[in-house]
Formats: sequence, structure tokens, C-alpha cells
Amino acid sequence: MAQLLRALFEKRTPRMLMGLVMACCTALAGALLLGVSGWFITGTAIAGLSVSTALAFDIFAPSASIRLLALGRTGSRYAERVVTHSATLNALVGVRERLFRSFGRAGIDQRPLWQLQPSRLLLRLTRDLNAAESLYLRLLVPSCAALVASLGISAWLAYHNPWLGLACLLWLLAAGTGITWWLLRATTKLTLHQSRHAEQLRRHALDITTGQAELTMAGRLGLWLERLTGKEAHLADLDARLQRCDAIAAAAWQAMHGLTMAAAVAVAAWLVLVQQVPVATAAFFVLMALAAMEPFAAMRRGAMEWATTLLAARRLHQPLADAPTTAAETAIGTTDINGLLQLPRPAPGLAVQMRAASVPGSDGSLRLAELSLDVACGETVAIVGASGSGKSTLLGLIAGELAAAQGIVRALPCVALPQQTVLFSDSVRANLDLQQRQPDDATLWAALQQAGLRDAIAARSRGLDEILGEAGLGLSKGQARRLALARLFLTDCSFWLLDEPTDGLDADTAADVLARLAQALEGRTCILATHLRREAALATRLVVLHHGRIARHVVRGTAAFDQVLQGLRGD
Amino acid sequence: MNSSSPRASWHYALQGVAALVWIAQAWLIAGTIADLMDYEVGGALAAADVLTPIWQAALAVALLGLLRAALEYWGVRATYGHARRTLTALRKALGERLRNTSPLDARRPPSGQITSAWMEQAEAVVPWLARYQAAQWRVMIATPVILLFVAWHSWVAALLLLLAAPLIPLFMAIIGWRAQAISEEQLEVLGQLHGHLLERLRGLPTLRAMRAVDATAARLTALGQRVARKTMRVLRVAMLSSAVLELFSALGVALVAVYVGFHLLGQLPFGAWNGRLSLHAGLFVLMLAPAFFEPLRELSAVWHDRANGKAAVQTMQTLLDGLAPMVDNGPPAAGAEVTVPAVTDPRNAPQVELQGVRPALAPAAEQHNALAHRHSLTVSIPAGAHVAVTGPSGSGKSMLLALVAGLVAAERGEVRIGGIPLTAHSAPVLRQRMGWLGAQPHFVSGSLQRNLHWGDSADPAADARTLQAVGLEHLAGRRLGEAGSGLSGGEALRLALARLQLHAGCDLLLLDEPTAHLDGETAALVRATIMRLAIGKTLLVATHDPLLMAALPYTLTLDGHGHAQLLGPAHGHAAQSPEVQA
Repeated sequence: MAQLLRALFEKRTPRMLMGLVMACCTALAGALLLGVSGWFITGTAIAGLSVSTALAFDIFAPSASIRLLALGRTGSRYAERVVTHSATLNALVGVRERLFRSFGRAGIDQRPLWQLQPSRLLLRLTRDLNAAESLYLRLLVPSCAALVASLGISAWLAYHNPWLGLACLLWLLAAGTGITWWLLRATTKLTLHQSRHAEQLRRHALDITTGQAELTMAGRLGLWLERLTGKEAHLADLDARLQRCDAIAAAAWQAMHGLTMAAAVAVAAWLVLVQQVPVATAAFFVLMALAAMEPFAAMRRGAMEWATTLLAARRLHQPLADAPTTAAETAIGTTDINGLLQLPRPAPGLAVQMRAASVPGSDGSLRLAELSLDVACGETVAIVGASGSGKSTLLGLIAGELAAAQGIVRALPCVALPQQTVLFSDSVRANLDLQQRQPDDATLWAALQQAGLRDAIAARSRGLDEILGEAGLGLSKGQARRLALARLFLTDCSFWLLDEPTDGLDADTAADVLARLAQALEGRTCILATHLRREAALATRLVVLHHGRIARHVVRGTAAFDQVLQGLRGD
Repeated sequence: MNSSSPRASWHYALQGVAALVWIAQAWLIAGTIADLMDYEVGGALAAADVLTPIWQAALAVALLGLLRAALEYWGVRATYGHARRTLTALRKALGERLRNTSPLDARRPPSGQITSAWMEQAEAVVPWLARYQAAQWRVMIATPVILLFVAWHSWVAALLLLLAAPLIPLFMAIIGWRAQAISEEQLEVLGQLHGHLLERLRGLPTLRAMRAVDATAARLTALGQRVARKTMRVLRVAMLSSAVLELFSALGVALVAVYVGFHLLGQLPFGAWNGRLSLHAGLFVLMLAPAFFEPLRELSAVWHDRANGKAAVQTMQTLLDGLAPMVDNGPPAAGAEVTVPAVTDPRNAPQVELQGVRPALAPAAEQHNALAHRHSLTVSIPAGAHVAVTGPSGSGKSMLLALVAGLVAAERGEVRIGGIPLTAHSAPVLRQRMGWLGAQPHFVSGSLQRNLHWGDSADPAADARTLQAVGLEHLAGRRLGEAGSGLSGGEALRLALARLQLHAGCDLLLLDEPTAHLDGETAALVRATIMRLAIGKTLLVATHDPLLMAALPYTLTLDGHGHAQLLGPAHGHAAQSPEVQA
């Protein structure tokens, strides 16, 4: 929690503090407005009893201060809300970037894949960050205002009678923090339980919507819907229990309000009766007490959301703790700003130097077993093998996505073309220039030309600024692949890793893409993982993987090479 | 939707009544101060004489406070209960509609979107019914009553309050109109940011591979700052409208205070009904002034709950409109038994007949599907035949399988499985004998057993044997993530085959492109498993795979124009020429 607050306040402390001060001003102005009004009315009532005192009564100072307080309260409330909201919004932007960088490194931690669901990560960045925001806006700000209002009224009372002042402060703080504390304690566990259950319900609902066909065919859809109804009923019960706590707290505030008003009346009367204060001042006190109760009620919502905030703080703890803004040390090595491991350089003339590298799988077996491989600069090597043979793991090692448990991996920095082409609903330009190097249009068009996509993009009305991914403006699978190629051509890196570059393309498109790729590979180093003959045919060397070991190693021009090639899947 | 039944309205009113308790409390407090003034000014009264009424007043204020707390508690609980029950009912209704809607209609919204409407968006109903409507009732009850009490003592003070909140309905309408526009705009902006974020998170492997994480993070911040600036512009307007309310409320209090003060001094001698206000009445009027504005401020704070709640109900009711129905999947009706012959005897495997069947899809331009283009199809597949369903993409291979499975209901014609017509009545029993493998097999989060059986496992040993048979023994004990994440494409398909294998009692296999996108070795394994599973069963496989087609004796060719041709085993001639009516 402290860490989350630090992250929020970092670099923005003055504005965040200013928001707190503004909130206190608002509370004080509200209390003074009612108090001065009560004092004024009572004073005028007494003065109005005789004509002479009525004429002597100074009406301008109080009536002017009443108007001033009315305007000041509105102004300071407005300023408070603007300042606090803009401060948190901007703080969240910074925290979001830190989190994103941390998620960017996620592959290295070798956490189970399902924990890295994008939709879950998005919840970290949206829901959990909003919960963090509520910590400041709904708990810290009103607490501060309530504290200052309590202090103000107690100080006034202490001026007339120190013991009464102390009693007042103790009562307000005890009742205020007591109710808040009770609400925190009563709801924390319940909220955690509720949010876990809501998440379960959501997953169950998602399972039903995605698996509807399978469930129908298995005759289980009715049963699963019934189970959903059961879970929903349980959630409704949890919701109702949470809301009951909230309602009890609200009723407690209300009761505290009534008791405080009664006590204020009694205290004011006693002060007048012992002739310690004039009655107008007593009216001032009673009405001030009335207004000073207002900020307390606002704390309730923050207290209700406390558990969610706590949960968010826990979830964000790890990502915030290891969010690198530049290179960072991790448990398994040093990562660069892009979240990849910094591998040592291989011997001159080599792009990859691997000695007895092993990567264990999740079940104890080895995904790669004592694998040794050298790749010279300028070479094109194809890694072939069935799915599960370790092709992707090998590429991951070279790219710096994974760390070898044993052995040595040295490699030059590379860029990789993953199996799946990912397009963003953004302009063609932004989709091409992922590294934000902002090349000129001519360079972009040249890369598109080289990838065979120039005409298709030029035909669009807005050319490079055409937004992709929206309805009707999508690219075909082949075009998307070409765009991914153009991305590669635009990087300044001459060492490429390609993972099944033409998978899922029809034969003609694949042939064209491969021809363009072969042309681009002149003078570059390339390792490609594949199970298709047409892709492996690009290589000068084939490495056959079987269960994480190199089964065969064949060089172009030998009979063995052709034999391995013929064993691969055709078009 | 009937959102406020009479009983609920009565509870909504409770909170409004609770707000009225303050009138009595204010009267007592003002009275006490007036008594104190009489004591101080008059001097004739002994302290003991004023003491009793003061103690009584303080006690009454405390008791009234407790009463108000109890009333509010009661009201809040009742309204919330009503709102939460409405949410449950809405969710249940969507579940029922989902149950009768085809999962294979191309126009069906993505599952994620349905889930999010079903679970998250639907929740907006609760604040609308519980908070907004209660606030609305408080405005309708407390505001006019308080105004009446003020007017009872001083028409000028009442007029000041009315003027401070000029033409309240109009005022609220303007704020509401702005607030709605604002919340819509903000939702859109936030939605864009979330979409942007989700895309980048999904694309993280690509961004890392392209060494673009750093650049993307920087761009994200630039975008975030832009969104924050835009949100602030929007928020400032929202805050300004609430500041206006705030200003009217503060000015109302100030004006009343100044008027009452001057009136008591004798400088503004008009406004009271009988001569001059007493201090009691003056203070009472002053203390009612903030309470007059309080409900209005509350209403403006929850105004956006209304739009969100209404939008949620709208979405829940129209989300699945216009989609093709599926053959109902209700529990089999008791008493009317549909008999299914014993399995594993090839002579008992069902014959599949389609007689002039047309799918119940609304004609839609985006569905480039021959069967969707309102062709009706007649074809008869002999019992125990192993059939490769082929044809160019879009010729209706998947639709044929969906019609046989009843996953898309027929608008016209009849599907018969083993001579039994596929109807809502017979579907549950007929489906027990079908094994289905869709184009993208779905898995659910949880244990492997849950995925194999859609529930708990009866025989773990059999599961282990089956997994071994498809080469997935290394997965035993693994838990799958959301939508089966963590499986490779090949593993997913083999797991789906294991599921088919464990589905005892099925003698009609319906498989949609099982070997697409697999490497050669896995594809061979899948082909062998299919041939093993299909022994003694009727098999329909939609496929492009020449090796799989070669392994199957029958070929049903759909040509994309509504014609179908079934070629018989080994001979290569047409065993049957099914008629097709356009």
C-alpha cells in the first residue's frame, strides 16, 4: 500500500498536497458559512429588540463575510476537484507506463502462460489503477477534510473550555475513525471473497459463451447454465452482505450526526447558562458543528472500497517493484529496456554460439537438452521438427526471451518475426514503425514495395495514414504477413529469427512471400523454425530437432539435405 | 421493464421521509437557542427554568437522529434488495436467450463481448435502481416539503430558495443532458485507451520480438497524457455543473441568512406572515436552507447512473437479437422416450438424412455462405458411412455439420438421424450419440478432467489411458487457463480427440477441418486417431486435407452453388445423386 502511494505521489507531491489543502479549505468554509450565519441571525435578533442597538449593529462585516464564504466555498470545492482529479489522472499515466514496461518483461520470469492473459493484464492497468486512485480521492482527501474540520471545532471549544474541547475532539475522532475502522474490518474479507467469486462467475460465463457449441453437443449446456444461476445467487448474497455493512455504516454516521447535534445543543446551552459565552456565539458553535459533520459521510465510500484498493495494491506490488525504466537486473540476468535478456557477444564472425544449453520444462523433462549450435554471420539456418520438439524454445533462447538453466548462450541482438502476425488498430505508418524511429515516407514505401504490399496500400484513400483493423479495412492474412515482413525490413538489425513465416498462407502467396524474403536475406543472418518444406528450402543448413536434441544436421548440396527436405510437409 | 413495482416505490419513499426528520430536529435546535436568548436578554428566567426544556430538546434531537438512521437503513436495504434482484433476473433472461441462440451464427457478437455485457455491464442496473431512483424520490419528497415549511414562516425566504434554484426541473434537465453527453464522451475516450492498451498487451510478444517495448511504452504515455488532458476537459465541465449547484446552494444559504438578519434588525420588515419573525423561526429557516439543496446535490452526483443503467438494460435485451436459433436444448420431456439403438454395431450407426433443409439464418450480406444464401439441401448418408465433406471455402461444409448437430435450426425441411427427426424434443437424446469437433475446439479454464468431461471425472485411469493414446500424457494434472490458453494448436486438437474418445455412446462423428494448420507428424497422428475412433460409426468430416480425403470411402462435394454430390466407396461413381433445390 505504501509502495502504491509512493508511486502515485512520485514527482507530483505538491499538486497532490495542494488537493488535500483545498479539501480542508472547502470543509472549513462550509462550516464557517453556517456558523457565521447563525451568529449573525442571533446577534441581529438580540440587537433588533430595541431600536438603538439595532442601529448600532455592524451589519456589513458579517454579511460581507457570509457572501465571501459562500463564494469561497464554491470556488475552493471546484478547485479541489479539478486539482485532485488532474493530479491523479496524470499520476496514473506514469504508473501505467511503469506497469507496462514491467509486463513487457513478463516472459522472462517464466510464469505459467495463463497468468499472463492480456485481459487480466488489462484489468491490472485499468481496474486496479482506478482502485489506487480511489485511495487518494475517496479516502485520503475526505479523511483530511474531516480531520481539519474536527480540529477546528474542537479548538474553538477548547478556547472556552479545554476539557470540552478535548472531549469534542476525542468524540469526533473516536466515532469517525471507529465507524471507518469497523467498516474496513467488516468488509475487507468479504470484499476479497466477493471479488474472487465474481471473477469465478465471469470465467464460468466466458466458458459458457465460448464453449456453447461443445456444451450443447455434450448435453451439458442446461447444467452449466443452472450452475451459473447458482453462482449468481451466491454472488447476490455476498453483494447483499457487503451492502448491509455499508447501510449499517451509513446508519451509524446518521446516528452519530444526531448524537453530535444533541451534544452540541447541550454544550452550547451549558456554556450560555454558566455565562461563559453569549448566546450568539453559542449559535455559531451549534451551526458549525452541523456543517463540520459533512466530510465524515464522504469517507464511507472510500472505506467501502478499501478492500479493493488493498487487493489492487497487492496485485501491483510485484510489477511496481521490478518495473525497469532502463536496463534492469533480474533474478536470471540483465534485461535491456525492451525486456529481453542481454546476451554476451559471440566470437567474431559468429551470430550464435551455444554450448550444452538446457532448458527444463514445467514437468521436469527438458525442453532443450545440452544443445550446442554455432551459426555464422550471413548464414540461413532452418530448425525443423514436429511441434513440441523445441523449435520455439531454441528461438526464445537466442532472442533472449528465455534463460538457459545450464550451458552457454551467446548471440548478437536480433529481431524476431513471431508465428502470429499482430496488427494494431492504428495507422499503417504506426503499424510499420513499431520502434518509433520515424523514418520518412520514401523509406516506408520502399519497405512496402519490397514486401509486395505497396500497391494494396497505395490503393487506399489515405495511404500510409489509413487506419487498419477497423471493420472493412482489415488486411487479408497474406497482406498482414507482408506488412510484418515490411516491419522487419525497416529495422536496422541484420539478424532475424523467423517462426513459420508463411504458416497458414495459400501456396501462391507463400511462394511470393518466400521469394521476397530470400532476396532480403542477402547479407543478413537468419534462423527460421518451420515444419514446411517450402520454408526450409531457403536454408543453407537444416537442423533437425527431436525431443529437445539435435537429431540430424545436414548441409545444402548433400543427399541427406534433400532427404530431410522431402520428409517435411508439402504445400 | 417494470423497474419500480408499487412495493419498491414505497421503499424508495422511505429515504425521502427520513430526510424530513431533520425538519423536527432543526425546529428543536432553533427553539433551544431562542430559549437561551430569552434567558440571556430577559434575565427574569432562572437557569433552572430553561434547563428542563433544553435537556428535553437535546434528548429529542438525539432520539430523532436515531429514528432517521433506522428509517434510512430500512429504505436503503429495501431499495438495494429490489435492484439486486432485478440484476439477477436480467442475467437469467440473457442466459435463457443464449441457450436458444446458435453459437455458429457469424453475426453473433464475440464471446468476450457477450460475457462482458452479461457480467460487468449488467451491474450498472444496480446503481441506477438503488442510488439514482432513491435520490430522485428524495428530491420529489424532501425538497417541496422543506420549501413548504420555510414558506409557512416567511414567503421571502421561500422565494429566495426558489430563486436560488431557478426552475429546478429545467436546471436539472440541462445538467443531466450535459452529464450524459460528458459520460458518453468519457466512455468513448476511455474505451479507446483500453482498446489500445489491450491490443498492445496482446501484442507484447511481437513488440518484444521487434525490440519495440520501450518505444511502445513511451508512446503509451504520450497517448495517456492526451487522454488525461481530454478527460480533464470533460471532467471540468462536469465539475462546473456541480459547482453551479454548489454555488446556488451556498448562495441560497447566504441570502437567507442575510435576509433573516436584516429582517430581525427591522431593516427588511416584510416577508413574514404576521409582523416579524422570531429568532426561533429565523434560525429554523436558516437550518432548513442547506437541507433544501442537499437532495438536489445528491441527484446530480448520481445522474450518470441513469444513463449507464438504461444502456445496460438496452444492451442485455438486444444483444442477441436477430441471430439464428439453435434446436432447443431443454431437458428431455418425461414419458416420451426416444429410443437409441445400442452402439458399436455398424448396422446400428445412424443414417443421416437431410430433406429440403434450409438453415434459419436471416439473409445477410456478410455471410458468404451457400447454405446461408437460402439454398435448401437434400442428401442422404448411409448408416456407418465415412464421408469426407469437401468443397471450396464458403460452400457450406461447416453449415452442413451444424445443421446435422442442430446447432443451427432448420427453417424448412427436416433433418433425420437414424430415422428420428431432429426436433427440440429429440435433440438432447440424439445429441448423446453425436461426437462434435468444431473448427476451433474450445476449452475451459480448470483441470484437464473438467475439459474432458465438462464436469468431474468418473474414471481417472481411463482418462490417463486416453491421454496416452493421443500422446498427451505429459499434460496430465495440468490446469488450463482462460479459454484453454497454455495449449499449443496441436495439443488442443489432440485433447479434443481425447474428449471424443471418452464420449462413450456416440456413433455419429461430426468433425470440422481437424487436420488444418498441423505439422505433418501431428496431422498423421490425428488422421490415425480419427480412423480408429470411427470404426463402427457414421463419420462426417469437413476437410481440405488430401490424405484424409483419400482415407475415407465416401466423398460429399459441395460446389458452393447449392449442389451436392455423394461419391460411393472405391467405385468412384455417384452412389446417390441427391437433389438440390435452389
